[in-house]
Formats: sequence, structure tokens, C-alpha cells
Amino acid sequence: MITGIEVGPTHTDAAVLTDAAVPWATAKVPSVPGDPVASVRHALAALPEHPRTQVAVGLRGLAQALDERRGLAKVGVLRIGGPAAQAVRPLFGWPAGLRDAVCAGTAIVEGGGGFDAAEWTPLDTGAVAAFAAGLASRADAIAITGVFSPVDGAQERQAADIIHRELGDAVHVSLSGELGPLGLLERENTTVLDAALHRPTADLADGLRAAIGGTATVLVTRGDGTLMGLDHLRRHPGLGLGGGLAGTLRGAATLTGLADAVVADAGEHRVRVAALTAGFPQQALDAQISGVPVGFWMPDVIRVARGGPRAHHDLAEAVDRMQPAAGRLPLIVVGGAAADVPAALPGVSEIRHPEHGAVAGAIGAASSPVGGQAERIVRLDPRTGLQAALDEVREEARASAVRAGADPRRVQVSEVTQTPLPYLPSVTLRLHARASGPAHPL
Amino acid sequence: MREIHPEHLDDMARGAGILGTGGGGDPYVGKLLAQHAIREHGPVTVVDIHEVPPDATVVAISGMGAPTVSLEKIPAGTEEVTALRALERFLGRQATHLVPIEVGGLNSMTPFIAAARTRLPVVDGDAMGRAFPEAQMVLPGLIGVTVAPMAVADDKGNTLVLETVSNLWSERLARTACVEMGCSVSCADTVMRGDQLADGLVPATLTLAEDLGRTVREARAAHGDPVAAAARLLGGVRLLTGKVADVQRRTSGGFARGQARLDGLGGDDGRSLELSFQNEHLLARRDGEIVATTPDLICVLDTDSGEPVTTEGLRYGLRVTVLGVPCDPRWLTPGGLELAGPRYFGYDTDHVSLNR
Repeated sequence: MITGIEVGPTHTDAAVLTDAAVPWATAKVPSVPGDPVASVRHALAALPEHPRTQVAVGLRGLAQALDERRGLAKVGVLRIGGPAAQAVRPLFGWPAGLRDAVCAGTAIVEGGGGFDAAEWTPLDTGAVAAFAAGLASRADAIAITGVFSPVDGAQERQAADIIHRELGDAVHVSLSGELGPLGLLERENTTVLDAALHRPTADLADGLRAAIGGTATVLVTRGDGTLMGLDHLRRHPGLGLGGGLAGTLRGAATLTGLADAVVADAGEHRVRVAALTAGFPQQALDAQISGVPVGFWMPDVIRVARGGPRAHHDLAEAVDRMQPAAGRLPLIVVGGAAADVPAALPGVSEIRHPEHGAVAGAIGAASSPVGGQAERIVRLDPRTGLQAALDEVREEARASAVRAGADPRRVQVSEVTQTPLPYLPSVTLRLHARASGPAHPL
Repeated sequence: MREIHPEHLDDMARGAGILGTGGGGDPYVGKLLAQHAIREHGPVTVVDIHEVPPDATVVAISGMGAPTVSLEKIPAGTEEVTALRALERFLGRQATHLVPIEVGGLNSMTPFIAAARTRLPVVDGDAMGRAFPEAQMVLPGLIGVTVAPMAVADDKGNTLVLETVSNLWSERLARTACVEMGCSVSCADTVMRGDQLADGLVPATLTLAEDLGRTVREARAAHGDPVAAAARLLGGVRLLTGKVADVQRRTSGGFARGQARLDGLGGDDGRSLELSFQNEHLLARRDGEIVATTPDLICVLDTDSGEPVTTEGLRYGLRVTVLGVPCDPRWLTPGGLELAGPRYFGYDTDHVSLNR
């Protein structure tokens, strides 16, 4: 049995899934404002007695912690990229308030790579140690961003070892290569926000473990529609951003069996419209959190008001905008207020209101796999075969999923996309792989 | 003559994105680089073409390569100056002014990085009046100014000065070197005398980009129609307002080629427009009839916000308005069309004038 819980702003939903097509049990309780752990405890108490082997929680509220600057860590920001990557300093362009709340100091040290082996500069280990020493007692966390680390994260890991040696194992270290795709400044922002969130998420992880009990495998939702274990959440708090909505989208897929669809999640005040592609949330381009451009994998979403004279028109337009391709995909309506969405909308060929859609977030949390991702850039010429690069990126995605808590024997690579890079004479591909599988039993 | 401060570049980058006609790289990170350089080294002076002395040495500064790479391995900030110094050593004289090679996209911002560091003024103009993908597609070529000598610098400190037999060879050799140097390099080239600028450059395009960005921003803030405001400022023709209904892509020979079909909305209900693109938007067919071609500018804007839509950003469901904007008239001469007309890009059609 797998238990899924989604902590929403007004209600907390729970569902217990077995191998059967319908949930074994569901529950809906009022959320305890500002206390997700208590909300989870109440939701569990509202379910009938059942063995808690695996509990997955849909996370919300991390973005709110950033907006309210609540409990954020002071972060030392380390960029590995010199002698290149100097032209824009870390945190340039951030809102001053957030920067002041988060930043304990910045440095750019020599190192980092390019898209082939000859492009790598050795890591200046002495400069990393000096930076760490200078931050002693000022920083609770360090965010490390290495140029081309999504392609090879070894230097980031080496720098993390040095920092732990200097500052002790208690200091939190966020590594960018685990957090987002290519695009240095956005990924660096992502990593800093991730590090800043480690205190509220560490408390959350402790609270969830205590509330759920010591023997269950505890997982939380990620913005890409997969799950991760509590240890992975502690290491990468930011991966939980957007996880609540992503879990709801996954639940819509589970409830209908549709892998490609537009989903409307009707809440108390507004409807969130997003899209499912191959069973996972369609990713947002140009995402921002608290006024900072970020590279997190989060669902693309359009929010429309639920009431008012133009509500249906706005909803129909949002659904149309979210259609990922020319084929008309069905609309799945879920959420507590799903019943208020009309059975027909202009331009929408098919609307589904699945049973148990009111607890779609909980069902998505319970039914999602543990996941991981990886990226490579490869130039196609006689010296480099595509197959070797494909194998490598698949293996790295698989390893990333295992680090997030997947069972190594059952992880599968679900997709490898190949995107050509423009403005180059040779064919140069960006490879992106996703892997997922069931959780490793505790 | 005026001073450019960091805040001026917000509008200029937005306008440069529109003039990039779907390509040229996202000016956002280029803008951050330029703003950073100006914060550190002080404001940049921009001068009109007629303010440049006849014997001035004017050098075009640009970046070449894959934006995906330069957005990951952002520059040190010194590459442009390294390229410029290498070119100066070759020339045996120093540059007195810098100029953008293209006002469209990322390269509109690049000269400001070098100008802030060298304290050299930037000429208000560019060699295209838009964005094009290859080094030989520049108007100074029509008056006999060559791209070479061309200096290329990477982030590692390697430099290369090319002497070539034609601009096409400059493009070919520089792009091959660019790949070997890490897929993102800085270039200093297209050396002009001050008295060649009036014939060689499209004048006042930096000011145009800034005006365009400001116009769109102000129209949006006033809940007006930013696309209409942009069209008025550019003297552009609205080709269609609609939504993206289909996008097909393929990549060959370093070009992201593709087509997008737009279905008309509102007053354009029932019409459709097919956009053909190769890094930039190059051809528009409305209801089967060609209504705009390169070298005229085909600008695709988000209908609500007026923000530019790049060829990579085209996706189903986007509400967009397509504007045709007349290019600089020198592009329509036989020499200009040979460099950047529809046939150069492999489309079997002559240039079709915008119908206003």
C-alpha cells in the first residue's frame, strides 16, 4: 500500500493506493495554516488504519518561504568558472531585499568546463578553501555552481569536500549540477535559493519523519513530477518547488490513464491550468521565483480567477494556450472545486471529470515514481559516436534517480531528447535524459 | 553624443530582441554583461555617425557561436578587448570607436562590454539594421569594406587574426575556429574609417532599439496596444494576428530550420500565415501568397505583451502578431539581395516588397 498526501493552502488530501484501479481510501481535512507537518498528521489520522510502508507528500509553501524570507539560511555563493565566467558577478540583478537576506559572500574561483574535455580548467582548490575559511561562522550554507556542471559535476563535488573539511559536515552544500539545466546564471540563482531553503526544509523533513513514523519510506514531490526521498530533499530543497502542482498533474494522469492532456486544477479561488506531456508536467520556460530568474524544473502554469464574468472565457483561452501540439488534447478537471468547471468549454473537444479528482494531488504523490535527470552536449564527428554519449547520459540519469531514492534494480530511462544547437557548422546536440523507478524500500 | 547608463540598456535590449527577428540570441544575458561592465567601469558614450571624425578608426565588436554555450560559459568580460587589441596590433593603429555588427539580439549589447572597459565611444548604428546569421551579411561589404582583418578571441586567451580573400571565407574560417575554441568567441572586425560610416552603416539603430523597447514598455504599462505602438514606430505592416497552430523543426548545416503555421484570430479569422525560419524568421506566406521575405524584417511579437518571440520560443497556442518591417534600402540592391535575399537561404523566390 502506498499513501499519498497533498498539503494545500486550505485542505490537505490523502489517498491510499493498492494495485487496484480505485483508491483503497481517501480523506480530506482542513489544512493547519503554516504547519504542513500537522496537516499531514491530521490527514493520516483521517484515513482508516493501514500499513504505512510508503508515504509520499505533495509539497507546497517553499516558494512562500522565499517570498516571506522566512527561516532562510545565509548562503556563501561559490562559482567555479574562472578565468571565464567573470563578466557577471553572482546575484547581479537580484532584488536587493532578497539578496541581503540570503547572501553571506560570493567568490569566483578557477575551474569549470566546456562541452569537450579539452575545455576544462583545473579547480583552484586553495581558493575554495580560502573562501570557505573566510565564511566561517557567517554562512549556514554554501551554493556551488560550476560552469558546465550539468555535463560533469566532479569539480562541484570536489569543492564540496573541501568546504566540508573547512567548515565541518554540518554546513549545507547545494550543488548546481543536480538542480537544473544548462544556463549558468539561472542555475546559479537556483542553487542559491536551494541552499537558502535548506533550513525550512530540514525542519520539514524531520517533522515528516516523526509524523509518519520510523519504518515507512517517506518521499516528497518534485517540480518535475517525480518523487525524492527525505535525504535527497535535505540535500536539494529546491527540487521540491512546484512539487504540489506537479503531483496534481501526475494524479490527473493516473486517474484518467491519459499521458498527454491539459489539466485544470480548480481550487478555492483560482484555477491552475497546466499540461501533461508523456505523463509528466510540461516544463516552464523563463521561470522566476521571488523576482529571480531560475532554472528549476517546474510545471508551466497559467492561473485564472475562478469567479467573475470572464472566468469561463479566460479558462477556455488558458486551456487552448496550454495545448502542447496541434492535436486537440482532452482537458482533465481536478481539484476541490472541479464540479464548478462546466462540462463544455469553447474550443475544448473533451472534458473529463475523473472520480476522486478532488484528491488528485494525493493520488499523484502516491502514484509517481522516483526520478532523476541528466544532460550532455555532444558534437557529432568521426571521433565521437552518438551512441557512447547516449549511453553516458542514460547512465547519469539512472544514477541521479538512484541518488533521489529509486530502487537501482528497477530504474528505467524513459526518454532521451536530442536538441540541435543553432549557429554552429557541425551538428552539435544537447542530450537530455530522464530516468525513473519505484522507491528503494527502506 | 550621450551617455549610456545601465538603466538605458533595459529598453535597448527589449528593442534589440524585436529587431532580432526571432534570432540573434536572447539579449537578456548580454544586457546583464553590459550593465555589469558599465557599473564597474563607468557609462559608455554613444555618438551619432556625423559626430565621428573622417579619419576615425571604427571597429565592429561581436560575439559568434552557439548562444547555448555562451549562456552557460559566460565570458570573462575581457574577450572583446582581447580581440580588439589583437586587431589593433595587426593594423598598427588603435581603434577610436566601436560599433555593433548587428542591432538585433545579443550582439547589440556586446560592444558596450568592450566600450566600458576601453572607454571608447560606441557609434549609434550597425552593419545590418537587424540580425543575420553569417559574418558576410553586412552592408559595409557593399561599399568594399571587408570583414577581414578579423580578430577572434576565446575565453582562454587564444587569439587569431584572419586575412582572407573574401568575406565568405572570413565567415567560414572564423566559424570553424569558433567550434575549436569552445563554440563561443568574440570578434573584432569590419574596420571602417569615419568617412565610410554614412555609406556603410544603418544609422541610429541603437537609439531605434531603445525607443522601440521604451514604446513597448510604456504601451503595456498604459494597458495600450504594444504591438501597434511598435508597428507605428518601425513603419511596419501588420501581416497577421493569430495563434501558432503548428511548428515543424529540423536542423541542418548549423541552421535551426523550420516552419510555423499561424491561424488568424479576431479580424484575421479564417486567414493563415506560414512562417519559414532558419535561426531568424525569413519568409511569410499569407493564405498561400508570399507577403514578406528577407532582407525585410519579419518580427513576431506576443500579441498581449509586445515581447519578441524567438524561433526557438515558437510553440503551439502562442498568441502572436507578425509585423513586416522594411529593411534598409541598400539590402534591396542586387548586391544586398545576393548576400541576404531569399535565394541565398534556399527559398525559390525573389524578394517581395511589403504591401502597405
